[in-house]
Amino acid sequence: MKRRLFVASTISALTSCGPITSALSRNDAVRSVLDSAEGLNHALIGTRGLAREYREQDVDRQFRVNGFSTPSDANYLRLLAGNFAAYRLVVHGAVEQPRGFDLAELSRMPQRTQITRHDCVEGWSAIGKWSGVPLAALLDAVRPRADARYVVFRCMDNDGAGNLYYESLDLHQARHPQTLLALRLNDAPLDPDHGAPVRLRVPTQLGYKSAKWIARVEVVGSFANINAGRGGYWEDQGYEWYAGI
Amino acid sequence: MKDVTRPAIYRYPVLVRASHWLWVVALLVLVGSGLQIFNASPNLDASDKSDAARRVLAIGSPAEGIGTTTIFGRTFVTTGWLGWTGDGMGSHGAHAFGAWLTIPGYQDLSGGRRWHLFFAWIAAFCWLAWLISSAIKGNLRKMVLASSDLPKLWPMQAYYLKLRKTPPSYDVYNPLQKAAYTAVLFVIAPLVVITGLALSPGIDAIANPLTTLFGGRQFARLWHFAGMLLLLGFFAIHTFQVATQGFVNQMRSMISGWYQP
Repeated sequence: MKRRLFVASTISALTSCGPITSALSRNDAVRSVLDSAEGLNHALIGTRGLAREYREQDVDRQFRVNGFSTPSDANYLRLLAGNFAAYRLVVHGAVEQPRGFDLAELSRMPQRTQITRHDCVEGWSAIGKWSGVPLAALLDAVRPRADARYVVFRCMDNDGAGNLYYESLDLHQARHPQTLLALRLNDAPLDPDHGAPVRLRVPTQLGYKSAKWIARVEVVGSFANINAGRGGYWEDQGYEWYAGI
Repeated sequence: MKDVTRPAIYRYPVLVRASHWLWVVALLVLVGSGLQIFNASPNLDASDKSDAARRVLAIGSPAEGIGTTTIFGRTFVTTGWLGWTGDGMGSHGAHAFGAWLTIPGYQDLSGGRRWHLFFAWIAAFCWLAWLISSAIKGNLRKMVLASSDLPKLWPMQAYYLKLRKTPPSYDVYNPLQKAAYTAVLFVIAPLVVITGLALSPGIDAIANPLTTLFGGRQFARLWHFAGMLLLLGFFAIHTFQVATQGFVNQMRSMISGWYQP
C-alpha cells in the first residue's frame, strides 16, 4: 500500500513539474531570479580566448539556413535588384566620425578569413569559411566616443509584424579579433539567404548574435531605449543577451 | 517490528539533507528543461558539427500524426510517446518529447534555457557545498568506494539476488551503495556538468581541448544526454530502494536526520 502510494506520488510529482514551471515561467519575480544565471555566466565565461578555427575540408559547402530567409522588405529587395551597388553600411551614433561604407570600400579594408563553427541556440552546428572586415577595424575608422558602450546592428529583415531584426555587442565583444563583418561565405560573396551583403560573425557566442543583412551599425551608450530594451530581437523574446553558453 | 529498542542515530547533517532535496528539485528541473532544449533540435550526432551520417538518435515526425524514433539507423514508430506528442494545450504536435515531460510545459526554448542554466548553478553549488562539508567532517570515507570494498561487491549482489543468506560485513553503506554513490557523485554528475560546459561556444573558445576531448560539440551533446539517462537510472533505482527498504524510516531520516537502525 505504502509502495503504491509512493509510486503514485512520485509520478504525480514528476508530471506536475510542467504545469508548475509553466506558471512560474510567466512570473516576473521568478524570471528575474532565473535570469541571475546570465550575469554569472557572462562574468565567468565572458569573451576570452579564440574560437577554434578549422581546415578547408571541414567546411559545410551547403551551409544551413535558419531563421528568416531572404528578407521581403521592399528596401532590401531594391538593393538586391541593383546588386547592392546602392548599399551603404552606415556607422553612426556615439562616434567621432560617422560615415557610410560601400561594398568596394569595405573590400579594400584589411580582411580576415576564418573557418569557424556556428553553434545555433537550437543545438545544431555547422562550419563555414567567413571573410570580411574585423569589426575592430571598422570601429577604429569611426572612433567611438568616451560614452560608447555597445555596438548595435540594425538589420533589413522584419518578422512580418514590422519588427526589424537587431543585435548588440559590448565593445569588448565587438573588438574581439574573430568578431567579423563578413562579406563572403565559402569563397563567394554572401548570398541573400546567408545575409548578403554584410552580416556579423561572432563565433564565441550562439548563432543568433551573428545578425544578417546589416544596414546600420549604431554605437550607443545604452540599448535600454531600443525596442523592448534587451539588446536584440531574440533577447526581446526572452533569450539571453550574453549568448556564450 | 524487530530492534525497535535500538536507539535512533543521527545519520544526516543538515547540509547533507538540504543538498539532497535541492538536488532532487534540480535534477527534475534540469531533466525537464533539458528535454525542452533537446526538442529544439531533436538529433544527437557522434560528431563535432551536425552530421546526418553520424546520427545516433533522431526523434521526428515524418508526417502529420506520426512520430518516429531512429536509433543507430533503425526507425521505430513512437507516435504519442516520441516525435508526435501532446503539446500541453490539449492537442498534439511535432514535439520530440511531450509537454508533460518538458519545462516549461509548452514549447519554449528560451524558457527551458533559463531554467536549465539557473538550476545547473544550483546543482553545482550544492555539490560543492556537500563535498566540502563532507570532506571536513570525514563523512566521505563512508560513501566512497575503497579498494577493500571491491571483493564484497559480488557477495552483496548475490545477497540481493537471494543467492546468499547473509550480506558481507559493512559499516554505514553497503559496497553496492558505495559503488553507486561514487559513480553518481564523482563520475556521472561531473561528466554531465563538463559535457554541458563543452557545448558552450564561450567555453570552447577558452578551452578548445575540452570539447575535442568528447569528440566535438555534437558528440558532447550526446554524452550530456547519455549522462542524463544514467542519472535518471540512478534516480529510479534509488527511489525503488527507498520505497522498499523501510520507506517511512528512510524518508524521516533524510528529512529530520534521525535514522532508526
